[in-house]
Amino acid sequence: MKQEKEWVIEAQNISYTYEENEKPALEGMSLKIRRGSKVAFMGGNGSGKSTFFLCLNGIRKPDEGRVLIDGEPVSYTRKGLLDVRRRVGIVFQEPDDQLFSASVYQEISFGILNLGVGEEKARKEVERVIRELGILPFQDRPAHALSGGQKKLVAIADILVMDPEVMILDEPASSLDPKHTKIVRGIVEGLTERGITVLMATHDMDHAFGWADEIVLMHEGRVLKSGIPLEVCSDRGALEKANLEVPAVLRLYEKMREKGMVSPEGGIPRTMEELERRLV
Amino acid sequence: MILIDKLCYRSGLRYVNATEKFVYAVLSLVFCVVSGSVAVAVPVFLINGILTVGKGKIPLSRYIRLLQIPAAFLILGTAAILINISEVPMDAFAFPIGKWYITGSVESVIRVCRLCITALSAVSCLYFLSLNTTMTDILGVLRKLHLPDLLIELMMLIYRFIFLLLETASAITTAQESRLGNRDYRTRIRSFGAMASALFVQALKRSNMLYDAMESRCYDGTIRVLPQEQPARKKEIIWIAVYEILLLLITIWSIIE
Repeated sequence: MKQEKEWVIEAQNISYTYEENEKPALEGMSLKIRRGSKVAFMGGNGSGKSTFFLCLNGIRKPDEGRVLIDGEPVSYTRKGLLDVRRRVGIVFQEPDDQLFSASVYQEISFGILNLGVGEEKARKEVERVIRELGILPFQDRPAHALSGGQKKLVAIADILVMDPEVMILDEPASSLDPKHTKIVRGIVEGLTERGITVLMATHDMDHAFGWADEIVLMHEGRVLKSGIPLEVCSDRGALEKANLEVPAVLRLYEKMREKGMVSPEGGIPRTMEELERRLV
Repeated sequence: MILIDKLCYRSGLRYVNATEKFVYAVLSLVFCVVSGSVAVAVPVFLINGILTVGKGKIPLSRYIRLLQIPAAFLILGTAAILINISEVPMDAFAFPIGKWYITGSVESVIRVCRLCITALSAVSCLYFLSLNTTMTDILGVLRKLHLPDLLIELMMLIYRFIFLLLETASAITTAQESRLGNRDYRTRIRSFGAMASALFVQALKRSNMLYDAMESRCYDGTIRVLPQEQPARKKEIIWIAVYEILLLLITIWSIIE
């Protein structure tokens, strides 16, 4: 049996420049990601998050540096890429750029069939994912008749059916209504419980602060700061540079501590609910 | 097109095996055209109507309005056969204009009627198929018929993205209208041009994104998806077989006549 390595993804000093641009999208970025962790990627538009994600499953090949998956450098042969893309799946930000088939069922079956899985097994898996993500009520509707949230669920199912080790979600909550944001967050929790490593790009600091094991702040193609949420959020300079606000719960907690409205026992709360419970 | 697409997803016959529907529609169409006979066309037209409206639950008013589209073309197209301008009046009708007549013969009237009925009933076969079968199902049948993969993949992508394109186009148009982009003829033309070029750029960008997304799911040049098919029912097959054999017999009979 293959021994599971602690670091599921490692980027070593990678740089990438798009052909049409002069400015590099990634500039000597290095990062290690622990297996099974929840990592939030934050930073302004154009800070290199999406390009980094595309490097992780071999869609973009870094001009310099290398990406290691499970401790092994990505091999850019046909077979090597197939292997990487099976392990690392990306749910793209815009479902309309990802869903290519009008039929939900056929759409979801695409990835797993590309892995060379037999038709019967693929059918079972597709149906399982459809049930799990609650797609059943709208599975017979054409893609163009689905709401944004429903399309997002299908986009997640697309990747989940391939049973990846790492799942990347590029701003999953962007343009979702509160109901679907909640559903998607629930699904993401489920992924972690299954042992899938989740990388999520987000602009929602409050959510990242409560959810993530690690926050990676990106700025101009580099990691500005990374670490546990509290550590990242204590670095006000870095936050300011990335144009991010201190999480509301942290700000509120600090003010309330000053005024003695909350007891210091139990450390710093990470969600509003936690803070509420701690009120004296 | 969008209307037909919406209706077919609601059709009561949507979940009938697509191959059955395809064979039924295409055979009926072929018999209609080959025989050119009213004896085939009338029952085909009626039965298509009964199935689409009765079983498919497509609203009658919608169905009639859809049939009016080809009917308008038919009237324009057959007018040339029907109407003659000559100095001698013919037997069916004749309106004098000066010393000339707008006139037609009984024979041509009959011919036009037969042509109209056959053509309408042929169109009704296609309507039956498209109003009761989703595009994905039709593609499934075409795949079974071993149409080249490339063609099927193209149809699949076009069907998916034509709606996105229309959506984007209408969003741009709305945005333009809200800034008085179609105040008069000149601005309207200019706005349309701007919309078309924006659409083109977006389509290119989108297709690049889609390619990335498909590649990240191990796309290797062929789109493989699981076929979805409703089970064929024996009873339906027998009905279709009996019906088509009857049509065949009438066709043969009408040709011998």
